[in-house]
Amino acid sequence: MKGLIENRFGLLALVMVAVAALYGVAFATRPAPVTVRPPQAVKAPVESVSAVCPAPGGTRLSVVTPPGGQGPGSAVVAGLAGAEGGDGKGGNGKGDGKDARPVSTVDQPGLLWQKEIPAGGIPLAVDATGSMAAGLESAQTARETSGPQRGLAGVRCVEPGADAWFVGPGPASADVTLYLANADGAAADVSISMYSGEGPVLSERGSGMILQPGEHRAIQLRDLAPSPLVMGLEVSTATGRVAAAIRTVFGKGRGVDWLPVATAPATSVVVPGIPGTAGQRELYVTAPGEQDTVVNVKAVLKDGSYALKNKETLDVPAGSTAVLDLSTGIGGQPAALVLTSDVPVTAGLKITGTGSSQDVAFTAGAPSIDLGSVVADGRAARKQTSRLVLSAPFAQAAVKVQLLPKEGTAPPPVEVRLPAGRTREMKLTPPPGGGTGFSVVVQPEPGSGPVYGGRVLDETTTDGQMVTAQPLALARTWALVPPTADSPSAVLP
Amino acid sequence: MHSVTAIVVAHDGARWLKETLTAVLRQTRPLDRLVGVDNGSRDGGGRMLSEAFGSGNVLTLNRSTGFGEAVHEALRRLPAASGQEWVWLLHDDSAPDTGALQALLWAADQDPKAAILGPKLLDWLDRRVLLELGVTVGRSGRRDTGLEPREYDQGQHDGIHDVLSVSTAGMLIRRDVWDELSGLDPDLPLFRDDLDLCWRARVAGHRVISVTDAVAWHAEASARRRRRISTSDDHPRRLDRRNALFVIMANLPFWALVRSIVRNVCGSLVRTLLFLLAKQPANALDEVAALGSVLRHPLRLRRARKARRNGRKQGYPAVARLLTPPGAAMRRLADMVQSFLAGEGPVDSAGRHHAAAEGASEDDGDELLADSGVFQRVFSRPGVLLCLALAAVTAVAERSLLAGDLLGGGALVPVTGGAADLWRLYTEGHHVTGLGSDTWAPPYVAVLAGLSALSFGKTWAAVSVLLLGCVPLAGLSAYISTRRIIRYGPARVWLAATYALLPVATGAVAGGRFGTAIVLVLLPVYAALATRVIAGSRRAAWGLGLLLAVGTAFVPLVYPLVAILGGLAAVSFAGVRRGVGLSLAIGLGTPILLLFPWLAELARDPGRILLEAGLQDVALADPRLGAESLLMLSPGGPGVPPVWATAGLVAVALAALLLRRHQMMVAIGWGVMLFGVLVAIVVSRITVHAGEASVPVWPGVPLAFAATGLLVAAAHPAHRITQFRAAGGLRRAATLLVVAVAFATPVAAAAMWVVAGADGPLKRGVPDPVPMLAALGTSGGDGTLLLRAKDGRVVYTVLHREAPLIGESDLRSPEDARKRFGAAVAGLASGRGGVYAQTLASLGVQFVTAPGPLDAGLRRALDSDPALVRMSLSEAGGLWRMAGPVTPPTPPRGTDSPHTWWLWAQGVLVVLVLILAAPGARTPGAEEEYADAVVEEAPRGRRRARGDNRGDRVPA
Repeated sequence: MKGLIENRFGLLALVMVAVAALYGVAFATRPAPVTVRPPQAVKAPVESVSAVCPAPGGTRLSVVTPPGGQGPGSAVVAGLAGAEGGDGKGGNGKGDGKDARPVSTVDQPGLLWQKEIPAGGIPLAVDATGSMAAGLESAQTARETSGPQRGLAGVRCVEPGADAWFVGPGPASADVTLYLANADGAAADVSISMYSGEGPVLSERGSGMILQPGEHRAIQLRDLAPSPLVMGLEVSTATGRVAAAIRTVFGKGRGVDWLPVATAPATSVVVPGIPGTAGQRELYVTAPGEQDTVVNVKAVLKDGSYALKNKETLDVPAGSTAVLDLSTGIGGQPAALVLTSDVPVTAGLKITGTGSSQDVAFTAGAPSIDLGSVVADGRAARKQTSRLVLSAPFAQAAVKVQLLPKEGTAPPPVEVRLPAGRTREMKLTPPPGGGTGFSVVVQPEPGSGPVYGGRVLDETTTDGQMVTAQPLALARTWALVPPTADSPSAVLP
Repeated sequence: MHSVTAIVVAHDGARWLKETLTAVLRQTRPLDRLVGVDNGSRDGGGRMLSEAFGSGNVLTLNRSTGFGEAVHEALRRLPAASGQEWVWLLHDDSAPDTGALQALLWAADQDPKAAILGPKLLDWLDRRVLLELGVTVGRSGRRDTGLEPREYDQGQHDGIHDVLSVSTAGMLIRRDVWDELSGLDPDLPLFRDDLDLCWRARVAGHRVISVTDAVAWHAEASARRRRRISTSDDHPRRLDRRNALFVIMANLPFWALVRSIVRNVCGSLVRTLLFLLAKQPANALDEVAALGSVLRHPLRLRRARKARRNGRKQGYPAVARLLTPPGAAMRRLADMVQSFLAGEGPVDSAGRHHAAAEGASEDDGDELLADSGVFQRVFSRPGVLLCLALAAVTAVAERSLLAGDLLGGGALVPVTGGAADLWRLYTEGHHVTGLGSDTWAPPYVAVLAGLSALSFGKTWAAVSVLLLGCVPLAGLSAYISTRRIIRYGPARVWLAATYALLPVATGAVAGGRFGTAIVLVLLPVYAALATRVIAGSRRAAWGLGLLLAVGTAFVPLVYPLVAILGGLAAVSFAGVRRGVGLSLAIGLGTPILLLFPWLAELARDPGRILLEAGLQDVALADPRLGAESLLMLSPGGPGVPPVWATAGLVAVALAALLLRRHQMMVAIGWGVMLFGVLVAIVVSRITVHAGEASVPVWPGVPLAFAATGLLVAAAHPAHRITQFRAAGGLRRAATLLVVAVAFATPVAAAAMWVVAGADGPLKRGVPDPVPMLAALGTSGGDGTLLLRAKDGRVVYTVLHREAPLIGESDLRSPEDARKRFGAAVAGLASGRGGVYAQTLASLGVQFVTAPGPLDAGLRRALDSDPALVRMSLSEAGGLWRMAGPVTPPTPPRGTDSPHTWWLWAQGVLVVLVLILAAPGARTPGAEEEYADAVVEEAPRGRRRARGDNRGDRVPA
C-alpha cells in the first residue's frame, strides 16, 4: 500500500479506478426516463346551477335535469326579486336577489318539467341544488302564429357570467333588445361593446351601467347605436355577474328569434347546428381585436368537409363584423362551419325559414360538448319537428342520444356514430306515451373526438315555416375538479 | 562646571545589570560620583554593583522599595557637590551609549532652563527599534510616544525636542530641581512616576527635553514582565493604569479634572466591555480595578493634589500643549481600519510599553519598503483584485437581475418584508401565515433577520448581496481561507476564481438557492477552520461550530458531510495532538446545540435533510442527472454551464497526482472529491416528498465539497510550477500547458456565464402576488387565496396582506385544516357550484386572486360562482371578493412558553459561542513565561509552526 502511494503512477491509478467506479455507479443508478403524466382532473357532478330566463312571459318554460343524480335536490323557479320596480331595490335582507315566492319547485331528475308562463311578468331565475343541479337545463320557447312576433323564438336560460358574446343582425336591420338581469347578491358593473360592420361603435351615451342585485333591464340597442346593420356584441362586467340575452325582431312577416350566446373569440370557431331545411344562411364573423384578418371558412357537411366554392375566405376588418351569405353553399343540407383565423374571432349564423312569412333562427360559435349536453325543449307534434344536427369536424366521434319525456320512463339511449369531418342530422321522435314535449341528452362516448351540434325546431304552417335553433351548450352536468396543491410556490409565475 | 552623580537602581536585574554597569563606567564624560542602590536583589545584583562601584558606594534596601524611594534614599545620604550638580538616574536594565552623558550635558549647556533631560531610548533586543523620545499622555491616561509601532531609528526624529516627560531610565535631572520638586513621588513606586515628576517640573517652569544624540537601550523589564515586581502584588498592567489615572487626576486643574473623571469613567467602562468581548477578563478586571482603586481613595488623591497645588493652574497651559491632542483616538481608529483593509491585521500602536517588541514579524523589510498610499495598498492586493474581477463578471452576467422590482423565482419567494418582519416570524409562537401554523419557524429565518438588520433592515438588500453576490463572495472567502493551506499566490487566485465560478455557484444563482449560496461562501471558511481545529485550536472550534450551525440551518446536508469528514480527520489526527478530539466535539456539537429543536424535527422527517431552505420545485433539479455531469461537478438544473466546462480542473487535479512530493495533500484532496461525488450520486438519485410534490434532490452542496477537495489537490503543489518553468525544455512546455488548462476552467466558466446570462427561474420584476386592492381590503386574519394553474394542476396558497416572507414556506399547517381547505379550493376551482366558497370564507378567505396569465377554465370557474364577486380582471390577473361575510380564524390565546424559553436559551447560547469564537486580542506569550529570556517571538512562532504542520500534514 505504501509503495503504491509512493509510486508516481500508483496514486493516479488508484484515483482513476475510484473515478471509474463512481462513474459506473452513477451510470448504473441513473433512473430511466419517466414520462411524468400530468395529474388528471376528476369528473364530479355539479352541485349547484343557476340560470336566468330573460323574458319568459308568454312562453313555454322547460326545465330538466338528466337522470343519475343521487340524493335530494330541487330546482326552484322564481321571479327575480325587485323585478317589478326594475329598480333593484327589492330582495330580502340577505340580498340574494331572488323572489321569496317561487313559481314552482322541480325535484325529479330525469323528467321534463314544462309550464306555460302567462304573458308579461319578470325574468325567472332557476336555482338548482343537489341532484337537480347536475346538468340542469332550462329554456323558454315562444310560439306566435301571427303578429309582428310571428314565429318560434327560443333561448336557453343563461347562467349569469362575466362575459357574453352575441353575433347577429344589428339594430338598423332589426329591432334588437338586450335583456340584462343580475340575479346575484352583489351589484354588477356592466359594459357593452359593439362591433359593427364599420368598426367598433362608440356610444355617446356611454356603454356602462350598474345593475343592482335583482335588477333587470331591457335595452333597445337602437338607442345606443342606431346604424349598425350587423353587429358583434360583448356584454362584460367589471365586477359582478350578469345574465344577458338578445332578442331580434325583424318585423311582421320577417321573423323573430333570440341570439344564442357565442363562444368567446378564438382562432378556431365551430358554428354547428345548421339544419338541412331550405332557406337563407347568413354568416356573421366578428374580429374584436386590433388587426384585420382573413377567416377561412370550411363547411362540414354530410359527405365530408370542404371549403365552399368562392366562399373560401371572409375578410374581417379589425374591430368589426363581416357578413357572408352561404345560402347557395350550405342551404338545404345539414352543416357546421369551421372558421379559422390568425386572430381571435367569433361568429353567428342566421337561418331563415321558407314560406311567404319568414321566420329566422340563429346559431353561433359553440364549444364542443365533451362532457355532454342537454336540450330542454324538444317538440314533436303533427307539424312540429325537432332535429339534432351533430358534427364531428376534426375526428371520428360517437355519442349517445337519449330523450327524456315529460312523464313515464325514458327510452334507452341511441348511439350515433359520426365519421371524422361529417355532419349528421337526426329527427327526434318522442317515446310513445310521453306527450309531445321531451328533452334531449347528448353524451359523447369515451374516446370520442370533439362533437359539436345544435337542435333545430321547426313548424310548418300555412304561411311559412317557423323555426328556432340553438347550438348545443356544454351541459353543467359534470365539472372537472382539478388536482390542487398547497404550495407557496404559487406566488411565482 | 557640572558634577554628575549616577544612581543605578537594581532589582533582580542581573541579566542586564552587567551591561548597564559597563556602559556607565565607560562613559566618555566620566562620572563624578557613582551610587548603586540594590533593592534586595536575589540574583547577585548587589554583588555586581559592589564590584563595579565599590562596596562603599552601594546602598542596600529591602525588596519592596520602589524606584523613587530608592533614589530619595540615595540622595539623602549624598552630600551636595560643588558646581551645578546633576543626578543621572539609571535602571538596571537600561544601558546608555558611551557618549550619552556627554551629549546630555552638552544639551544642558545649550539651554539653562533645561532641568530634566532624557536620552533616546532604543529596544534592548532589537537595537534599531525606537522605544521613546519623550513620552506624553492623553487625557484618558493613555501613554503616547508619538512613534509608529516597531518604528526603526533612522535618525528621522533626531534633534532636541521639548517633551512632556522623559523616562527615568537615563533621566538627567538637576539636583536643585529635584529638591525643589521633592523628586519622584514615593506613592508611585513604579510606572508613571517619571511623568508625574516631569509634569511638576513643567508646571514649575522648567524645561523637559529629549536629546537624541544621547542613546540608551532599555529592556523595559518590569513593564514587559521580564521580572517580578516586588513593590506591589498587582499586575504591572493594573499598576500602570492606576498610576496613569492617578497622575492625570493629581496634576490636572479642577475643571479639567472633572472632565477627565467623567471621561475616564465612561472610557474605562467601554474598555472593560471590549476586553470582556475580546475574552480578556484579566484585562477587564485590571481596567476596572485601576479606576476603582483611584476613586476609592479620594483622600490620597486629595493629598497628592494638595502637594501639587502650587502653580498647577498657571502651569497647565504649558503642559496641555504637550498632551496628546484630542483627535488622536479617532486617528488611531482610522489607522487600524486602514491597516485592516490593507490586510495587515489590526495593530495597536504605542499604547503599551511592549508594543514594540511584540509585533516583530518576518516581513519587516517589506513593511519598510512598501510605503504606499491606502489606495495602492488596498488595490494592489490580488485578493481585492480577484474580488473586483469576479464582481465585474457577476454584474455583467446578472445584468437582468440587478435592478428592478421584486427579486424571486426558483427557490426564492419574492423578497418582501424587512428585518422586523423576519424577527417577528422567528419569535412568534403562532403564525397567521397561510392557514395558520403553530410550528416554530426554521432557524435560518433568524440568520436572515440578523443579516437584514445589518443591511439596515432591508431583507432584499441582504438577499441580493448573498445570492447575487455569492460568486465574488465565494471567491473572496476561498482566497482568504486558503491563505494558510496554499502558500503560492497565483495558485490561490486560480483556486478562488475557479471555486467562485463552479457550476454549483451559477446554478445556485439561477435557481434562487440562497441556502447553497451561503454555504458556498462558508465552505472555504469551514475548511480553513477545520484545519485549525485539527491543530487543536479551541477558538477555531467554536467558530466552526457557529458557522456550521449557520450553514446547516440553510442546507442541513452540510452537517453530515462535515461531520463525516471531521470524524475521519479525528480518527487520523486525534492521536497526533492533544485536545483535537475535544475541539472537534465542540465544532460538531455546537450546531446540534444551537439548532436542537429544529434538528429533532428534521430527524423525524429525514428526507428534508436533503432539501434546502426556500421553495421546493420539481423543475429546479434534474431527476436523471448523467454520470458525466456528476463527475464533472455539474449539479444539473437551471443555470449550469455545459458539462465540459470543468474538464480543465479535473485534468489539472489528475496531473497533480503525478508529482512526487506533496502527495499526501493531493491524496487528501482527491479523497474529499471522491467522497463528495459519491454523496452527490447517492442524493441525486433520491426524490424527496416535500409537501404534496416529490422533488428530486439537487446535489449542489456535496459537489461543492468535492470541488473544494479537487481544487486543494490541484492548487497545493502548484508552487512547483516555478521550479518546472525554470527547468526549461519539455518540463517548461508541460508546465505552460498545465497552467493554460487550469486557467481555462474559470475563464470558460466566466465567459459562458456572461454569454448565457444568470437569470433562470430567478427573475427581477416578479409581480407582487397580492393585488393592491386585496392588500388594502384585508385586515386582521383575513387572507387572500391565490390560485394558479400550473402544469395541469391548480396550485394555491393563502396570503395575508403581503407576499410570503422567506421562511414562511417551511411552516406547516394542521393536517385537518389543510385537507378541508384543499377540498374547498378544488371545489371552487372546478366551478361546480356548491358551498365551497362559503367554506373558504369561513376559513378566513376574503379575496381570491388568480395572477396572469389567467387560465380560462379557472377564470370561468371563479366567475361562475355566485359567492364570489369579481373586482378586477386584466392581463395581470383577476381578483374576486367573497360576497358573503368572512370569519377570520382566531389565533389561539396565550403564549407558547417552551418556544419562548428556547428562544432565550438559543440567544444566550449564540452570544456565548460568539464570544468564545470571536478573535480576542492576542495575549503576549511573555505573560506565561516571564522567566524566559527569549520569549518575544513565542506566540507568533507557535502559530507559524501550526501553519506549517497544516501545510504538509503527515499522519503517524
